[in-house]
Amino acid sequence: MTIDPSIGPARARALFDEELVAVTTASGLQELRNRWLARSGSWVAAFMERLAQATPDEKKALGRGANELKRHVEAQIAERDAALAASRRPEGAVDITLPGRMPALGARHPLSLIREQVGGIFSRLGYQVLEGPEIEDDYHNFEALNMPAEHPARDMQDTLYLAEPLMPAHHEPPTRGLAPKAPQPLTLLRTHTSAMQIRQMERHDPPVRLVAIGPVYRRDNLDLTHTPMFHQVEGLVVGRGVTLADLKGTLTSMATALFGEGQAVRFRPSFFPYTEPSAEVDIRCIRCGGEGCAMCKRTGWIEILGSGMVHPAVFEYVGYDPNEITGFAFGMGIERVALLKWGVEDIRLFYENDLRFLEQFGR
Amino acid sequence: MKVLLSWIREFVAIDEPADAIGRTLSLRGLALEGLEALPGLTARPDGSSDPAGDWLLDFDVTANRSDCMSMAGIAREIAVVYGLPFREPASRWPSGTGAAGTEVPALQDAVATAANVPAPPAEGAGPAAPAGHGLPISIAEPDLCARYVGAIADVTVGPSPAWMAERLTACGVRPISNIVDITNYVLLELGHPMHAFDHARLAGPAIVVRRAHAGETLETLDGKTRTLTADMLVIADAEHAVAVGGVMGGALSEVSATTQRIVFEAAWFQPASVRVTARALGLRTEASARFERGADLTAASTAMARACDLLQQLGAGQRVGPVIDAWPRPRVAAPIFLAAPRVAGVLGMPVPDTEVVRILTALGFSVATVDGGWQVTAPGWRVDQHRDVDLIEEIGRHHGFEHLPATFPGVQQAPAASDPRIARDAVARRLALARGFSEAISFAFIEARHAAPFHGAAAPVMLANPLSEKFAVMRPSLLPGVIAAVSHNRRHGRRDIQLFEIGTRFAPTGETRGIALAWTGLATPDHWSGARRDADFFDIKGAVEQLASLFGAALDIVVPSPGSVAAEVLVPGRAAALVLGGQPIGLAGQLVTAIADAHDVPAHDVVWVAELDLDALSRAGGGPLVAAPLPRYPAAARDIALLVDDSLSAATVRGTIQAQAPSTLVSIVEFDRYQGKGIPDGKVSLALRLTFQSLERTLTDAEVESSTAAVVQLLTTELGAVRR
Repeated sequence: MTIDPSIGPARARALFDEELVAVTTASGLQELRNRWLARSGSWVAAFMERLAQATPDEKKALGRGANELKRHVEAQIAERDAALAASRRPEGAVDITLPGRMPALGARHPLSLIREQVGGIFSRLGYQVLEGPEIEDDYHNFEALNMPAEHPARDMQDTLYLAEPLMPAHHEPPTRGLAPKAPQPLTLLRTHTSAMQIRQMERHDPPVRLVAIGPVYRRDNLDLTHTPMFHQVEGLVVGRGVTLADLKGTLTSMATALFGEGQAVRFRPSFFPYTEPSAEVDIRCIRCGGEGCAMCKRTGWIEILGSGMVHPAVFEYVGYDPNEITGFAFGMGIERVALLKWGVEDIRLFYENDLRFLEQFGR
Repeated sequence: MKVLLSWIREFVAIDEPADAIGRTLSLRGLALEGLEALPGLTARPDGSSDPAGDWLLDFDVTANRSDCMSMAGIAREIAVVYGLPFREPASRWPSGTGAAGTEVPALQDAVATAANVPAPPAEGAGPAAPAGHGLPISIAEPDLCARYVGAIADVTVGPSPAWMAERLTACGVRPISNIVDITNYVLLELGHPMHAFDHARLAGPAIVVRRAHAGETLETLDGKTRTLTADMLVIADAEHAVAVGGVMGGALSEVSATTQRIVFEAAWFQPASVRVTARALGLRTEASARFERGADLTAASTAMARACDLLQQLGAGQRVGPVIDAWPRPRVAAPIFLAAPRVAGVLGMPVPDTEVVRILTALGFSVATVDGGWQVTAPGWRVDQHRDVDLIEEIGRHHGFEHLPATFPGVQQAPAASDPRIARDAVARRLALARGFSEAISFAFIEARHAAPFHGAAAPVMLANPLSEKFAVMRPSLLPGVIAAVSHNRRHGRRDIQLFEIGTRFAPTGETRGIALAWTGLATPDHWSGARRDADFFDIKGAVEQLASLFGAALDIVVPSPGSVAAEVLVPGRAAALVLGGQPIGLAGQLVTAIADAHDVPAHDVVWVAELDLDALSRAGGGPLVAAPLPRYPAAARDIALLVDDSLSAATVRGTIQAQAPSTLVSIVEFDRYQGKGIPDGKVSLALRLTFQSLERTLTDAEVESSTAAVVQLLTTELGAVRR
């Protein structure tokens, strides 16, 4: 459409501004430029023709107005051109909002995370971390831990036995203590990792500073809080002058590392055949902070582990002199820590391997 | 142990509320398990009524504290904790009150000493009662029954008074009759089990404590006929067994509504013997629970005195004749030496000497101060006290563990090395996670039918007492667990699953640690840029090869030999055995349908699996690493495309080249493989990139070309290849 050259610069300017607003693309802008500025067929061209026929006085006034309008149009078009250029996608541009390529990344099992974390805590404290065999002989699982045959404490840990005893493939004979020198038939699934502690002591002189981590087995039916296989970490420190207070410091430090700074810990007297004195350790309820809730059975405290000073009888079994040395030991369930730390309500979830569960614990 | 606050208060005048007592005792070794208000329980033994009702506190008594399985025992702890006087049972019922007949001196004892124990009877433990007041007691097994206190009483059997019936009921014991209730009441009050026989039903009448004759039978109070063995201790009359010692009485001599004369028994039975017998008979009673843990040898007479006292109080009868106390071997309590510095040496906190003496004395120990410490003698009810640390625990718990400082053990030597498997497993775990596998942990015991395909000809490791058939066999492989996890996830809506597990496998030859992988569904997660592709053999194989390479192990991946586990559990043609140094250490391939079906994996799912022996893999690693210098001369690569028979394996092509290649050939990469349009049937187009490099100089074009041509020539003559 040609623009009527009879309209004056003022109306033309208003008309141009109106048209400019409607322009949103580079091609639209080019078209606008052509209509207003091209050498032929544009408003400027038409106006110049009209100017040629005007009187000198008219020429002067119209000429000034036309120049002003021309400058306005050029400036506005340049400005819009720059704006459009700025919003244009550069050569080779991609939609950066599309999803990136993420090769699948597996999820860590929560028990494996806790196991590694606890191992790390005690490694930093200078402990040796051991795993040991899962099938054990009666001597190392019970007798050397001050639970001879028919000891009532054996009831505390209902045991899973092998149908046929196995002979150990590798035998490392004890170098001290009361352990039989000949290999013993392996008859049971270890009920605790303490068996590993005995094996370590009867082959090494004190001092000893270790944690034993791994699966253990008890004949417990599956329910919300029990599985027949679970994981344990057990610590043992033996040397001159080791005390119950050292145990308290160590376990308080562990609880802080596991559950967070300021985690309160308390010691309650208890009983285990392999420790004397014995203590159970509670942490301040991590759900209610001690106010009392269903999780802590309204007590404000939650038991996390059993511990105590190594029983002198255990030292006698491994050939250490109980008058010369003392030691502390503790045992904690990995599942229990995971249940508490992450608010998991059913221990069986740890053994279902449901990806919807596993993927919650980080990669 | 359920205790009633009103009953406790008969031994210690405690005014604290029940919940406060529970909280306090929980920090002193008696954990409160339950607390229940009993507003309706108002009747008291003195005939009064307490409108406040009563409280039932349920304490978790640890296995060492048989002394706390009674009202008196818990009351003693409360007395020590609150610093209150304790009314000793032995001082309250010094004898069966009001009965006719001669007292036997042994009744007076609280803590037995040689002075107040009757002389041991002659060998064979013959009758110990005065003639005429007829109850000969003979103990043929003094090791298993160290003491037997008996008394005869004439009784009128009837119901117990309300206060007694209510107390028994509250504590979980069913009231039966005044006579039986008295024995149960004494058991709950003093912790010493008792029994009552119908005197008229005892042949003789006599009491003989002996081992059962093999095959001897006895109908116990629960109405079951038990066949006894010679390692079981029985109470017999002159002819037959009438009770299983310390476990349960016999039905025939049971006190009934028509009973007129009874024999009360208060005895001491050896813990291990009671435990074995109770377990063999499948009978666990209030009595056996206490004898198993160790009853107070000195308390039998006190219990008898209390029973006779209650008989009198209830108007239920009267003792006839003396209390007969057969105690062939008196208890001689050995003092324990407690060195004063040992207390702080074990606890790590100082406890003043006066506090040591106060705590032990209040608990009933006799304490003599000697040079460097104390000689401490435990009372009869503390059967758990053997060594100085036992005393130190008593001191520690009553002084208060809350006073322990938090200190750390000093380091005396450099820490020893950790189990190398931990770091090794972490390496394998990292790779599996990075390759997209999530970590599974499964039970190590599985169903026999799931284990069978994986142990092959070897015997499985079976459990003698599994929880159920589902947990009967120790896994020979990690795969059944991982496959079960795949199945679980498939049935819960997941299509694409990658799982791995690192754990122990069990065989008669021992334990090995392995890693198992399972993969079903997509090879990589869906992405807008690419085509979706399901995982295939080369995905699982790649994961296995990377794992092996982490440990510097050169795996041979071969077709499994017939009959091997790999051949049984994997689809033929998509099955590989993993061989290291000639030894099979694992498998990789597609799981056979039969096993997938057995685990309820949805039909038509393709599941790729692999398992590797990590122990074997980690042994494969070479010696210490020595860094190689970087090559100083450039490499030259040449691509060749060949047509070969499609039955020819890549390994054959590769092997043929490697067998005769010049030393400058440093790598062969199969970078394309094509069948279809333009390729004759039965042939495949194979594209190889050969890379040549010399450590001494830059190879010339002519040399590279000539080497490449030699390779092509070799493949042409040896394998019939045609260059495209």
